[in-house]
Amino acid sequence: MKILEIKNVHKIYNSSEVQVHAVNGVNLDFEKGEFSAIVGPSGSGKTTLLNMIGGLDSPTEGEIRVDQTNLAGLKSSRLIDFRMRHIGFVFQSYNLIPVLTAKENVEFIMNLQKWNKRERDKRTYELLEAVGLKDRAHSRPSKLSGGQQQRIAVARALASKPKFVLADEPTANLDTKSSENLLNIMEELNREEGITFIFSTHDQRVMKKARRVITLEDGRVISDEWKKKNGSS
Amino acid sequence: MIWKTAWKNVWRNRVRSLVVIASVTIGIFGGVFAVAVMNGAIEQRVDSALNNEISHIHINHPGFRDNYDIHLTIPDLDSVMGQLDETAEVKAVSPRIIISGMANTASKSAGVQIVGIDPSLEKSVVDLHEEIIPGTGDFFETASRYHLAFIGQDLAKQLNIIRYVIDEQTISELRESKIPEATVEKLVPFTGERFHSEEDFEKEVKAVLAPGELEQYGRLIREKAWSFSERTRMTLTFLDGDQVQTGAVFRIAGIFDIKNTVFEMSTVMVKKDVLAGLAGLTENDAHKLIIRLEDMEQAKAVSSLLSKKFPHLEVLGWKEIQPDLALMTDLVQQFYAVFMLIILAALAFGIVNTMLMVVLERTKELGMLTAIGMNKKRVFSMIMLESVFLSLIGGVVGMIVSHVLVLFTSSRGINFSQFEEGFEAMGYTSHIYPEINPGFFITVTILIILTGILSSVYPALKALKLDPAEALRTE
Repeated sequence: MKILEIKNVHKIYNSSEVQVHAVNGVNLDFEKGEFSAIVGPSGSGKTTLLNMIGGLDSPTEGEIRVDQTNLAGLKSSRLIDFRMRHIGFVFQSYNLIPVLTAKENVEFIMNLQKWNKRERDKRTYELLEAVGLKDRAHSRPSKLSGGQQQRIAVARALASKPKFVLADEPTANLDTKSSENLLNIMEELNREEGITFIFSTHDQRVMKKARRVITLEDGRVISDEWKKKNGSS
Repeated sequence: MIWKTAWKNVWRNRVRSLVVIASVTIGIFGGVFAVAVMNGAIEQRVDSALNNEISHIHINHPGFRDNYDIHLTIPDLDSVMGQLDETAEVKAVSPRIIISGMANTASKSAGVQIVGIDPSLEKSVVDLHEEIIPGTGDFFETASRYHLAFIGQDLAKQLNIIRYVIDEQTISELRESKIPEATVEKLVPFTGERFHSEEDFEKEVKAVLAPGELEQYGRLIREKAWSFSERTRMTLTFLDGDQVQTGAVFRIAGIFDIKNTVFEMSTVMVKKDVLAGLAGLTENDAHKLIIRLEDMEQAKAVSSLLSKKFPHLEVLGWKEIQPDLALMTDLVQQFYAVFMLIILAALAFGIVNTMLMVVLERTKELGMLTAIGMNKKRVFSMIMLESVFLSLIGGVVGMIVSHVLVLFTSSRGINFSQFEEGFEAMGYTSHIYPEINPGFFITVTILIILTGILSSVYPALKALKLDPAEALRTE
């Protein structure tokens, strides 16, 4: 089942002197349950593409449909609400709210969605358990390691049961062990709960784990490879 | 959640928040306390004017105030007084004869208003009899075969009735007080000297004492050297009903001090029957009726009622009798409002500056919050709440501190004795008891919340303009 369709998407940045074609005619579809990586060198357009998929930026041309909803057709306030309900975000530098505890960070979106306390607590502890940090529920981000903070960020991204999670360079700031641990958790969530993950990365470990690797260069898709079950292309 | 996050955000940078809170606290404390002192001074002035000088309502012949014509007495006085007795709101009435004249002693003279009163009735409309300087006599209570006059301290000084004397007793009293021996020694050479005026005395003392000594002990030295001879003589002269100069010798019954130079300098009270006899009037004549009401707030309503009752007479409420006082009490409320608004505006700029820094520092975080689904209304509310919390904490602490200090000083008062002369020249006492209306605290609280909200608008709008994708890229 297609949950995301990218049709002939272009993104052009106009500055006073130059015109940058950051994304140049990208066509992609994503199915539910994918564990895919968008890879490419710096400046290849992967973060721009991810921002457009997440509704943080709009295409200059083309359209992006999430479950048949054209993001370009949504007004700013509807788009924010759409992101809250249907898209999970994991950022490179964790971006947790430093004054809130791990639990409060995870339940933040549920609070915005006005979940009742019992359901909220249940879901929060389930997610904290899934990322292996139930015992750190009341710790503030400053008391957690980078890897632990990123796991809390994953739990937060999953809080509102999104259609897919966009992870922009999630392992870029982590050491090898923390990266492995994080990727294993995300892979497990993907395998067991069918959560769709789309990464933007140039980390070999992420590429190795991903079942689909889309390579961008100069804003164009130059390859889109599905791996066989044993991990080879 | 927004409230909780905003509250926690306030304490993210403790030092900065505490500096903002401290500035709000000091600003509010300064404003509220200054208003309390001004308010206290004005309330005391109004109380003093109503209780010692003018009471609540005056009734007189319509032409009397134009030139104080001795013939313009209140017609049919008994009937008017009878009707006033039947008016429920009227607590007491005292008739006065008022004649302009001169007060003379052997060395000095001064223009005065000679007020003829019935002492027992006068006591029921004003409390001047309670303001006698101890040791100077009484309010016509002691029987005397002489005519008696009750005068103010400043007139007594002007007429050299009050003198300044340094004798052996003064020196020994100064030694027993807290004044250092070295300072007293400087005054010993003056032993046996009499000074004819306060100015002469101060000039001489100033010449021998250091400025610090004068500032610290000047008041006490003046009090100890203060000298008054009982039953000093004074002549009062004026023109009677036939425009013939008349007068008599009066002895001082007592001296009052109400900290109002103008009133003290111009008022001489004598018994009404004595003045009537000297002026060729009868005991049943009066130029003014002074009326005390049960409640001063009724002055306007009762004066309008009495105006209808006595259309042939002039009826004046206290605000018409003393329009400067009325203007002051009415204007001062607006002044307080402007004063507080200026303080709050200054605080608002401080808060705006802090909140702009907050938005700048948290650009990435605000971008993240918008990205994960926090809408503009919530972002705006969060920034606004942080600003309101900052101003409210500072405001509440400031008001608690001012309230405690107002409570503390309202019973003891604050002594501005170094400005005593200036205060008294304007009719104000230099010992002020700060006072504040509880409604003022409520108004200030509302204004503080409004300041917090208004100060947050610009920084919050800045936050709303952030592009999430761009904000997320900032470091």
